[in-house]
Order: sequence, then C-alpha cells, then structure tokens
Amino acid sequence: MDQPRLVGNVNRRRFLKTTAGAAVAAWSLKGAARARAAARSDRARAAEPNPKRGGVLKWAGPAEVAHFDVHQGAFRFVLGQMYNNLVRFNPADGLKTIIPDLAESWKVSSDGKTYTFKLRDGVKFHDGTPFSSADVVATFSRIVFPPAGMASIYKDQFSAVAKLEAIDRLNVRFILKEPQPYFLELFTPSSMIIYSKKALDENNQDLRKVIAPGTGAFMFKERKVAEKWVMVRNPNYWDPEIPYLDGIELLHIPAWTDRGTAVLTGQADYSPNVSLETHQEGIRRKDIVGTVRYPGEFNSYQVHINNERKPFNDPRVRRAINLAVSRQNLIKAFGTQEPIMLTRWMTHASEFATPLKELEALPAYRADKSADLAEAKKLMAAAGVADGIKNVDFVSASVAPHAEILAPAFQDELRRTLGIETKIRVMERALLIEELKKGTFDMMVQTEYRSPIGDPGPGWEMCLKTGGSLNFSRYSNPEFDKLLKQINSERDKGKRKQLFAQGMALLDQTAPLYLIGFTDHLPMWRNTVKGHNSEARVFSELGRVDTFWLDR
Amino acid sequence: MRKYLAQRLLIAIPTLFGVTLLIFIAMRVLPGDPLSAISGEGAGMYVLSKEQLQAARASLGLDRPYVLQYLDWLQDVVRGDLGKSFWRGEPIRELIVRRAPITGQIALMAVVLSWVIGLPVGVIGAVWRNSRTDYVFRLVVTLFMAIPSFWVALMIVLSLVLTLTWRPPLTIAYLWDDPVRNLQMTAGPALALGLALAAMMARITRSSVLEVLGEDFVRTARAKGLREAVVVRRHALVNAMLPIMTVTGTALGALLGGSVAVERAFGVPGLGLALVFAVAERDWMLIQNLVLLYGVIFVLINLVVDVSYGWFDPRIRYQ
Repeated sequence: MDQPRLVGNVNRRRFLKTTAGAAVAAWSLKGAARARAAARSDRARAAEPNPKRGGVLKWAGPAEVAHFDVHQGAFRFVLGQMYNNLVRFNPADGLKTIIPDLAESWKVSSDGKTYTFKLRDGVKFHDGTPFSSADVVATFSRIVFPPAGMASIYKDQFSAVAKLEAIDRLNVRFILKEPQPYFLELFTPSSMIIYSKKALDENNQDLRKVIAPGTGAFMFKERKVAEKWVMVRNPNYWDPEIPYLDGIELLHIPAWTDRGTAVLTGQADYSPNVSLETHQEGIRRKDIVGTVRYPGEFNSYQVHINNERKPFNDPRVRRAINLAVSRQNLIKAFGTQEPIMLTRWMTHASEFATPLKELEALPAYRADKSADLAEAKKLMAAAGVADGIKNVDFVSASVAPHAEILAPAFQDELRRTLGIETKIRVMERALLIEELKKGTFDMMVQTEYRSPIGDPGPGWEMCLKTGGSLNFSRYSNPEFDKLLKQINSERDKGKRKQLFAQGMALLDQTAPLYLIGFTDHLPMWRNTVKGHNSEARVFSELGRVDTFWLDR
Repeated sequence: MRKYLAQRLLIAIPTLFGVTLLIFIAMRVLPGDPLSAISGEGAGMYVLSKEQLQAARASLGLDRPYVLQYLDWLQDVVRGDLGKSFWRGEPIRELIVRRAPITGQIALMAVVLSWVIGLPVGVIGAVWRNSRTDYVFRLVVTLFMAIPSFWVALMIVLSLVLTLTWRPPLTIAYLWDDPVRNLQMTAGPALALGLALAAMMARITRSSVLEVLGEDFVRTARAKGLREAVVVRRHALVNAMLPIMTVTGTALGALLGGSVAVERAFGVPGLGLALVFAVAERDWMLIQNLVLLYGVIFVLINLVVDVSYGWFDPRIRYQ
C-alpha cells in the first residue's frame, strides 16, 4: 500500500488565472490544497471540507492517569493524544478502515506470517530526536518480550509474534508464529503508541514516572492532577495539514452526568461518553449540541458463572440459566442507567455478530420464554437439580447499578424461573479482582468480557480460552479451544464468519457465562465541534482528536 | 489562659496519635490495598500476575512490617512530608494546598449563610413565640432539616442546566485568581449546605433564646425599662450563644472534613471528593493524611469554640 501523490496543479493554475490579487490568490491556494488533502483517504483528515483552524477544544471525560506508561496500563486516551501508532483507523469514515500513521505503507507476506512496515521519513519526537525503526523495535520488543520488572499488559495480544527486527532505518519486520487475520488491527488502538528508544533507554525501560516525548500532533504543556491536561499543537508535526486545533484541554470529569451537563452548558466542547439522561436532554437540544448512540465493544455486562463449582460445572445447568433468564427483562431493568444491546457472545458492532432479527428468534435470546423455560427445566432435571439450587453465592460490586439493579434483577429471574436461590454479596469494586482470581464465588456481575479491538478473536482468547487472562468463569472446553485456534488463524473472512458461527453455537450449548449484552456509546458535542464523525462510528475506540476542528 | 491553651494542645497530642493509629489499623484491616485497586476490575484489559503485584507492592514499601510502615509515616508527618498518593503519584501536600481552599471556602460560606439566615429566624421565632410567623418559620425549618443537602444540590444543578443551560464550573478557580468563576463554583454548594445548617441554627437559636428569655436577669433588664430589642440583643442573644457556637464549631469541622455528597453533586473537586476516591482506590497514604488533617482541624476548631465561650460568657474562666 503505497502513498499516493498529490495530483498535478492544474486547478491551482486555473485558479490563479482567475484571481484578482496576489493576496487573495495565496489565501485561496492554501484552501484548495487543503481541500485536496482532505480528499485523500490515507491520511487522517476531518470528513468535512475546508476545516477551520485554531481554537482550543475542551474534552470532558476520564482524564486521570495513575502513571505515564501506557504499555504498563496508563490511561491511553489522554496520553495517546501526544503520540502516533504505526497504523490507525480512519476518522473520516467513522473509524472503519485502517490507514497509515507512522508506517507509510505495509506489506503482508503470502503466508500471512510476515508484516513489513515502511516508516515515514523526517518524523521527529517532541524533543527533536529523529524517529526511526529503532524506536518501533524498542517499543514493541518491550511489549512482546518485556524486561524483568515490567508489567507488559498487552503482551498476550502479541503472543503470535515470534520475532521483530529492523531491516534498515525505515523498515521494520514482524514475524509471526502463525498467521493472524486481525494482526494489523492490533496496532490501531490508542494504546499502541510508539515511544522513542532514547526515552526508554534513559529511563531503564520504565516510563511510569516520566511523560516521554511523542511524535504526535499535540505536545504536553501542563497537568493539573485530577483536574485537567493541557496540550498544545505540535508546530513541527510531520503532517502539516493537522491538527486543526491550537490545543486541547482534557478535563477530568469522572461522572457521566457531569460530562453531559458540561457539554450542554458549554463548559466542555466534546465528551466521548455521557449519561443516558443527558444524552436524552441533548437530543432535545439540537440547537446547541449533537449526540448519537453508536455500538461499542469495550463495555459489556455479564454474570460470570464459576464453571469449577458444583452444580455449575455441569453445562446443562449453565445452559438452563442462559435459556431461562430473560435478557430483555435485564436490559429493560438497566435501561435507566446504560443502553445495553442484545447480542450473542460478541459485541453487536462486530461484522461477525448474529444479526438482531435472527438473534431475536433464537432460543435463549428471544423475548418469548415459554419454550426456553420448558427446555431449561428439563436440563435442570437432567442435571439432578430439578428443585432448584439453594445458597448460591452471588457477588456484586458495591456500585449502585450493579448492586441495586442488575444483581437483584438477575436474582429475581433465577428464583422465579428455576428456583435458584442466591445470596447477593456486595463488595467494593476494587476488591472483585481478588475474588475473580481466587474463584471464590458462584456467580458474579462483571464488566470485563470484551475484546481489545473490534475483532472478537482476541477477546475470545482472553475471556473464553482455557487459562485465558480474563477467563473468570474458568471455562475450559478443548473443542472450543481447537475451534478458536482455527478462527484466529483463518484469513478468509467468509470462512472465518462460518467458524465464528460454529463457535457461537458451541458457546450457546456449553454456556460458559451469562452475557447480558454490550453497551452503546453516547458521545455528545457542541454544534461547533467538527471532524469527529461520531455519527458514522461503529465502535468505541475513542481515538485521537487531531482531526477535530471548531467552527467558531 | 495561656496555660489553658497549652494544656488543651498537649491533650490534643494523644488524641491525634489515637487518630493516626486508628486510621492506620483500619486501612490495613480492610480487605484490599492500592495495588489490588490499580490492577482491579475496570483497570484495563489485563490482570497482573502474583509476582508482578508483589514487585509493585515492594516498590511502594507495602511489603514491609506494619510497625515500620506506621513509624515511617509518623516520622514523615512530623517532618512535614505527607508523602505521595499511591494512585496518582501526586504529593499529598500539593493536593491539600490545591483543594483545601475550595472546600474551606464552601464551608465558611455555608456557616456564614447559616448565621445570616438561622440567627434572625431563630430569634424572631423565640420572641414571637407561637405566633403565625413562628409557625411558618418552624415549618420551613423542619422542612430544610428533613431535606438532605445533596438533594437540594442536585435540584440546584438540575434546574440551572434545564432552565438556564448553565452549570457551575467543574474545574478549580480560586477567589484570588478569578473571583467571578470562584463564586459561581462555590455559591451553589454553600447554599445547599448553608440552608440545612441554617435550619439547624434557627432551631438551636430559638430554643436557646427562649430559655434565656425566661431567666431572672432578663426580667431585671425589662424591669429597668430597656427596650425589648435591646433586651433580646444584649442580654438574651449573647447569653444564648454558647450552644450556637458549639453547633457552629461542630458543623464547620464536619464541612471542612468534606461535604462529600454536595461536592459530588456539583462536581466540585474538593477535599471530600478526594477522600471518597482515595477510599475507593485504597490510596492508603492519602486516606491516612486526610483523616489526620481532619483530626487536626476538629481539635483546633473545638479549641477555638471553647475559648469563645469565655468571650460570650465572662463568668467562664480558664485556669
């Protein structure tokens, strides 16, 4: 995929012939060049023609970090604004296609095992250090083969990488153990930023305490802890067209309602996710704000069922629960909090997801429960628990939506339909992880069933494969593991879709957990904010704001 | 007086020592530590291994014996070093310096408001006891005592957003930097807190003044031919101030300690909100130092209140 060149300057000549004055000509020339640049599909651009320049965007969201090392878990959406990836999703088409970022182009070998990235020349980090293949190798070596003492949280995602190496100053090669159809997409999240080798070496491979210079469109200016981050435009950015903004202020507003009211009242220009009630108010206030719902793959709600504890180690019991408990009822009960969407084992945004109409007719997913309930009772009887189950330990985080809505609603469904009596054990959210790791629960309301990218493959690896890092239900099924290996190495999309369908059918039967659904995202923006293209988005990678512009 | 003050300050030392011990033990007894919170649910797409957690705990000094951790903390506090937040790495002294002025200002404004509203309402209720005005005042007072401050706060925010499309600022603005934005930020929380406190103040004032109005010296003052206003102001109200000062002191301490729910409703980044997040994040060092700060504030306020008794009632002497 080579970089296309700007085509000719015929328009420019014609234009100059018709302009009256040199000043006007110069101004218009700049505008025409921008319009052409905006039309190019391989660089991040605002979707709208002729974006205006200047202004400071106030972004409202979770803008606090525990430290500054993204690859060790620092909050990526804040820090990511100062860096680049190798590739990224295209903001102009709602983050649907992959376009170059620091990699100018890339090639995939015919066996799908070698990815060669040609890097952009002339790029510099904010401290003036030139960018080269050494930085890419240093960055990903640290992720894939972390040094002692480093908590590389993205290591598992790159487990297919056997080797990575610099071919020369501007070419890098990743060699995989086996082909991975989603490998390129793994480089797109804002967590996959490139650090400079110099910064890594100077800090002993640990950037938790330093804000390392990036190559990104914005440079660090100021951080007020738990209040805001201030970043300014990088005047030497390698792409002269962007950013359109002079700077950004990332306001730390943890509460979704506060984010919504901040945008509604003009204290913030944009928020990636607001509360349902402020989103609804936003719909009524189209004169000042815009807001949409788009499907996300990051947030889900589920009830983990401990597959190692009796009687839930029997797939018939788990299947019975999945058949009997009404997802529609749970979604309705939670409707005042967040819009959960009906789905089947993966985000509803995925191209591999079962279409909603088809899903609504499937057992366990349909609204009419009469047939499902009869089947569930048969399964319970066959598993020897026809009279129900007593004293089930049901853990929930102490946050109100979990402890006061979802857990009681699920408890009521279980009791009414299958005679399963649960005792809700509420505990602080921060402590759930210990319970999950130890497996000291029968059931638990949780939110960590997801995939790191839009493709559900790596998500299934983490959440459903035997020993997966987020497999908190302790599901272990060799048949599924074998199928998953096939899914995650099959490069033909059609075949892969069939394999995913087989996987979902298998999961329906063996029911590792009870997935309620994935949530929709609710961004809101002042009408003056352009270049985000939220209306076209299909998944929830919040992304960078380098293509945002202010129509003031 | 000096001796009394010195005695009180000396007594404060074991009190504060007890506070440090209690909060230190409480944090260690509660399940979970900062690392379990950092690596916990919602933290990301990963779970730290046991070895990684152990290494991280060691890097924060959390693997040392509790006695050593406690003694080190006390030593640091005595030196004026409050340490850093485990979660954000921010020096705690800076956090307090940044957030305390806002919380303190809101608390003071709420107390002033409670006096401005509560004292006249209480005095009028007492002087015109069982009149129609008194009944109306009592009704309003009961209402505001019953309504939680956070509900008033939510209603204020909601009505501002829905009617004026405006809300108080969400980022800190100090009085000395930007007085207008600062007042926009603090007026709402002060009003929400002040109204509830004013109701309590009015009730205390009414009952205290009523009690004093029945005293012999008030009868004597009236018998001397003093005007009723003078009797109430100079004789009754001054002598009724002791319980009002006690309530004021306690309320001020509680408000400085964090009007958490109201700060949350208005999105004000004050000390109360910092403590709530610190508890959720198991940020031990921050919790310990903030609780110690509140302990110091309470001790000092109680001291000021006690000393003020002598000013309002010269019969009280400190020896």
